Amino acid sequence: MKLELKDIKKSFGEKEVLKGISFLAESGKAFGLLGRNGAGKTTSIRILMNVFGADSGEVFMDGKKIDYKKVKIGYLPEERGLYPKKKIIDQLVYFAELNGMKYKDAVKSIDYWLDRLGMMEHRNKRLDTLSKGNQQKIQLITALAHNPEIVILDEPFSGLDPVNAMLLKDVVKEEISKGKIVLFSSHQMNYIEEFCDKIAILNGGNIVLQGEITEIKRNYVRDKLIVRSQELDKIREYLGADCFMNEAGELVVQLKAAEEKQKVMKDLTEKYDIDEIKVFEPSLNDIFVEYAGEQN
Amino acid sequence: MKQFGTILKFELKSYFKNKVFVGLTIALVALIAVLMFFPKIMTAFDSDDSETEAADTVAGMILVSTEGVENADMIEEAFAAAFSDYEVCFTEDELSVIEEKVINGDAECAIVMNGPTSYAYYVNNLSMYDGRTAVIDEVLQNLHQMSTMLSSGLSAEEAVAALNVQIEHETVSLGKNQAQNFLYTYIMIFALYMVILLYGQMVATNVATEKSSRAMELLITSAKPTSMMFGKVVASCLAGLIQLLLVFGSAILFYNVNKSYWEGNMMIASVFDMPLNLLIYMLIFFVLGFFIYAVLFGAIGSLASKVEDINTSSMPLILLFVAGFMVVMFSMTDGNVDSTLMRVCSYIPFTSPMAMFTRIAMSTVPFYEILISIVVLIASVLGVGVFSAKIYRVGVLLYGTTPKIGEVLKAMKKA
Repeated sequence: MKLELKDIKKSFGEKEVLKGISFLAESGKAFGLLGRNGAGKTTSIRILMNVFGADSGEVFMDGKKIDYKKVKIGYLPEERGLYPKKKIIDQLVYFAELNGMKYKDAVKSIDYWLDRLGMMEHRNKRLDTLSKGNQQKIQLITALAHNPEIVILDEPFSGLDPVNAMLLKDVVKEEISKGKIVLFSSHQMNYIEEFCDKIAILNGGNIVLQGEITEIKRNYVRDKLIVRSQELDKIREYLGADCFMNEAGELVVQLKAAEEKQKVMKDLTEKYDIDEIKVFEPSLNDIFVEYAGEQN
Repeated sequence: MKQFGTILKFELKSYFKNKVFVGLTIALVALIAVLMFFPKIMTAFDSDDSETEAADTVAGMILVSTEGVENADMIEEAFAAAFSDYEVCFTEDELSVIEEKVINGDAECAIVMNGPTSYAYYVNNLSMYDGRTAVIDEVLQNLHQMSTMLSSGLSAEEAVAALNVQIEHETVSLGKNQAQNFLYTYIMIFALYMVILLYGQMVATNVATEKSSRAMELLITSAKPTSMMFGKVVASCLAGLIQLLLVFGSAILFYNVNKSYWEGNMMIASVFDMPLNLLIYMLIFFVLGFFIYAVLFGAIGSLASKVEDINTSSMPLILLFVAGFMVVMFSMTDGNVDSTLMRVCSYIPFTSPMAMFTRIAMSTVPFYEILISIVVLIASVLGVGVFSAKIYRVGVLLYGTTPKIGEVLKAMKKA
């Protein structure tokens, strides 16, 4: 299955929130939708889920316009919340039924998930008697119980302790391996790096970067060197304005062009006592900060 | 449609699980039961001690001073007869002593005669319902008329006959009997008023709670806003109807159980003597009136981010409703339900459920007028429903401060 958004535009009043975004997510792979607060992630997700229409652009499923009657979507919103005063099983069944399940199937599926997430003992309790992390697990069931083809998880790991985060990781991996389209949105880049094969970074209503993470990293212009040495001061003096110290106490050398790197490395190793010299490999976090950082 | 059913079921279930709803219904039924069984309970109490008590009961003492007034004997006799519940004492005390006795409660009140047709009435605290002066006036008037007649030569029998002539009359009402219909119209209008306000607020609170608990985030992705809104409104309408049915049903049941005790009470009998067609009109106007307000309350709830905001944002709607209620109530108590104002109100969709129903119940309204009113109301319910659903669609996604009307309208055009 392939889920594709094509040239989606959306404005609220004067404010243009999405200025024509396109991306493609495939089944069996997790797709990371990244961006700072207010970049347009939630709006994209809502258009994708048909909460409201786009001003222009279309959502396609396997090349055809998506039919919301047939395609089931599971959603874990960033703003968590269910009915605090209602019995857990009652509201889970309610949401499953709203998503098109029959009562019996809903109960069966919910019991499976309650058991899978270790929440069976809370089945008949009121939601507000549970801790925040456990409420989050209950909410996760609303996204998964109706066995949706597309799973959208907005900040799924926030507020979970390491054990629960581990449990959630397993569940997400399972869903991916079942061939579902999993859409991730998170600010925690380590999780994105762990799960997602592809990402798209939203900034100011545009997608400023997208593609496979490995590809993005490989294509990242390799024009920075990292130098560890006892003689950093001398090197700084030598290189002048082209270098700066990073937080780890290493010297980052900005090259004029990527092709220069061999020459500069050779030059430095010959002149100074170098402990280590390497080409700078950006983490996803670095890439995110670089692309999502500046507001246009 | 399936979603609508699911939502309706869920909402209705939460009404029946709501302790306030259940408690209120039980309390109302219990109250009705007590009211309806009241005469039975009273007779049960009375039958035991009525005889022994009646002899002893003296409500209080009335002092009468007739010093220097002619016909004192007749006056005293007449007072004793008129105030048979009281111990009527004749006194020759000074005025100050009489005042003293009234103030310290020895005597309920005092009548100090200045002449055959003039007196002063002394009482400690004048009650709002004190009707004794009226009785005294009548007694003295009768005495005066008697003595005048006697002195002009009539015999005592002739005088009594002339004073106590019985006039027979018969009223034939060709339209409605307002006196008879008043009470049940009043009850119905009041029930409508209470139910719309109560359930309207409940719908608004319900929506706002979903929004503030962020359950809305998930709901809007799972269900259509129109299904959500109408599911809620229809559920609350059903809950309200069921509650009314229970209350009125138990009233009718208890009335019939105690029918023999209520015989002779015209007022209560008139309430339970409601014609069927009026009941049907009641149902029509109730449902339509409920809808038009409930959808608006739903829209208002969707615009609030916090439950507390509802109080202020629903104020205009409540004021409109209360104004309509006031017009109807004043017209009813005036007995003038066909005034121009009421005629106008019976076509305006926000007031017509109460105004038209009152006119049907207490006056004779041509059928075509009723039909026009109902058609206008149905059209408005649909119009307001679509309008509210649009607000709801926009409102549920807006967080932060309650948006201005202009902003909402702008957003609605977009959506």
